[in-house]
Amino acid sequence: MELSTGRASALGALIADTFLEARARWLFWGLFGLSTLLICIFLFVLKIDVVAGAITLMGIQSTTKQVFDIQRFVNTSYSWVSIVLYIWGTLLAVFASAGLVPSVLEAGRISLLLSKPLTRTRLLLGRYLGNLSVVALNHIYLICSVWLIIGVKTKIWEPRFLLAIPISIFIFAVLLCVVVLIGVISESAALSVMIAVALMLISTILAQYENVVKLLSSEWSRQLWMAFYWLIPKVYDLGVAMKQLILYDRQANWIAPLWTSAAFGIVVLSTAVMVFRRRDF
Amino acid sequence: MAADYAIQTDGIEKIYRSRFRGREIRAVSNLSLNVPVGSKFGLLGPNGAGKTTFVKMLLSVVTPTAGRAVLFGKDARDPEARRPVGYLPENHRFPTYLTGRGMLDFYAALSGLAASERKKRIPEYLELVGLSNWGEIRIKKYSKGMLQRLGLAQALIHKPKLLVLDEPTDGVDPVGRREIRDILNGLTGTGVTVFINSHLLSEVEAFCQYVAILRQGELVLEGKVSSLVAERGVRVRATDVPDTALAEIRRLGGTISPLPDGVQVQVVTRQEANAVIDAIRAAGGMIESVAASSSSLEDVFIRAMETGKAA
Repeated sequence: MELSTGRASALGALIADTFLEARARWLFWGLFGLSTLLICIFLFVLKIDVVAGAITLMGIQSTTKQVFDIQRFVNTSYSWVSIVLYIWGTLLAVFASAGLVPSVLEAGRISLLLSKPLTRTRLLLGRYLGNLSVVALNHIYLICSVWLIIGVKTKIWEPRFLLAIPISIFIFAVLLCVVVLIGVISESAALSVMIAVALMLISTILAQYENVVKLLSSEWSRQLWMAFYWLIPKVYDLGVAMKQLILYDRQANWIAPLWTSAAFGIVVLSTAVMVFRRRDF
Repeated sequence: MAADYAIQTDGIEKIYRSRFRGREIRAVSNLSLNVPVGSKFGLLGPNGAGKTTFVKMLLSVVTPTAGRAVLFGKDARDPEARRPVGYLPENHRFPTYLTGRGMLDFYAALSGLAASERKKRIPEYLELVGLSNWGEIRIKKYSKGMLQRLGLAQALIHKPKLLVLDEPTDGVDPVGRREIRDILNGLTGTGVTVFINSHLLSEVEAFCQYVAILRQGELVLEGKVSSLVAERGVRVRATDVPDTALAEIRRLGGTISPLPDGVQVQVVTRQEANAVIDAIRAAGGMIESVAASSSSLEDVFIRAMETGKAA
């Protein structure tokens, strides 16, 4: 892929360069290869006739209720599959993208980039968007493929399953802000992965606040737990909300996790830009 | 109004502080320099003198601790000030996954060149640096000299008004060095200002009109090359000169430099040269050559390093 084929702006050039680097480092193919593997596993699993299997398993008789229950069963399957794809896709994406920020900060490479008539903000955002685009393409490929497979097999097309695409891309975009910040500060891909994955786990633990705060004895510890809960991106909550949305659950709570995670991402990315603008190379 | 100077720095300074101990290292100290538009300017200095830090401050890669840099009348911190600049960094690391063509395309796009213009210029500039047949090959296959020439094409492709080259011939063999010099000589008369940061004195002497010499971050000498090397004299080379004659030669005003097969004596006047020749012959030495000489930039540089100023 050459940039000269298109009328690429400087930002476009930076995004395209991230693609080229991801391809050259086998990250692009690695992501798509592993996604294809998961798709193949789904194909294999669904060779068992899901609809027939469901009928057998649930002992459903041929009544009007049967259609509703099969729909319900497939939707439940869709929701669980979306969770698998959400976790799988996010983890892989974090691993794949961690090295793409430190690589651009290598001495001899960054000084030439900074000598160009670009602001540092644009330079970093170009890299961020390039990274996000690579992962977004992979998410679209993975989730659409699985949706097609389930749809063809069950003849039940649940468009809400496709909500997994924007939600997975969104949560990755938030975690990528952390990867960029750590990359800009430490130039360490390994540390970026460690912290992003740790945030995913911490988010899961903090999300159990309803059970945990009851066990905490002091008010300040309960408030501290809740403060951390609101501070950290809601990887777990958004996964749960996605599952509920696919199940048409009216209790789905996605607005608060969405805006608090977005706020976290904006603050972290702004900090990364600020650090990057002040750094000497 | 067009600016008279391509580069102007006013008391620019860079102090690095270690993160934990708070120790300070003054890389560049209160440096004021004016580089006229269209000139060829060489920045000299030993390793660690602050040359690269100075260049990085010009291009906003490093933020000055004090003072300011101006490019063509615009503050160097403004990205637009860097639009007319072509830069070839020292120890560059071009993305090895790109082909020569792709690399030029990428950096030209970042320099603001439109796609149609890039398409037209890339073959021209690959040809200019003798890499026409290598455009489609990934640059990880390139030799050091080829990378340097490609880097030069990258610095030139958007037709900059100021070319900043940091050790452009470092690690390049003599043939490659000659090729780079020829490309740079081709810029003569185009109005492009060339700013070379180098420790290869002979190259700077051959190419530049102006030089500045840095020592430990401080400007110790600045001026026209022709003025600095104007000091003339006579150089006598001789063999079989006994040690006993050396003291007499020194007394006569000669500066002695040992050679593998004898000595070289530098004197200022013809009278001194004749006296030295007489002394060598009287001691049984053989005169190998006598030549008029001018002070080389190397002599000027060494004196500047020793005394902190030109002799």
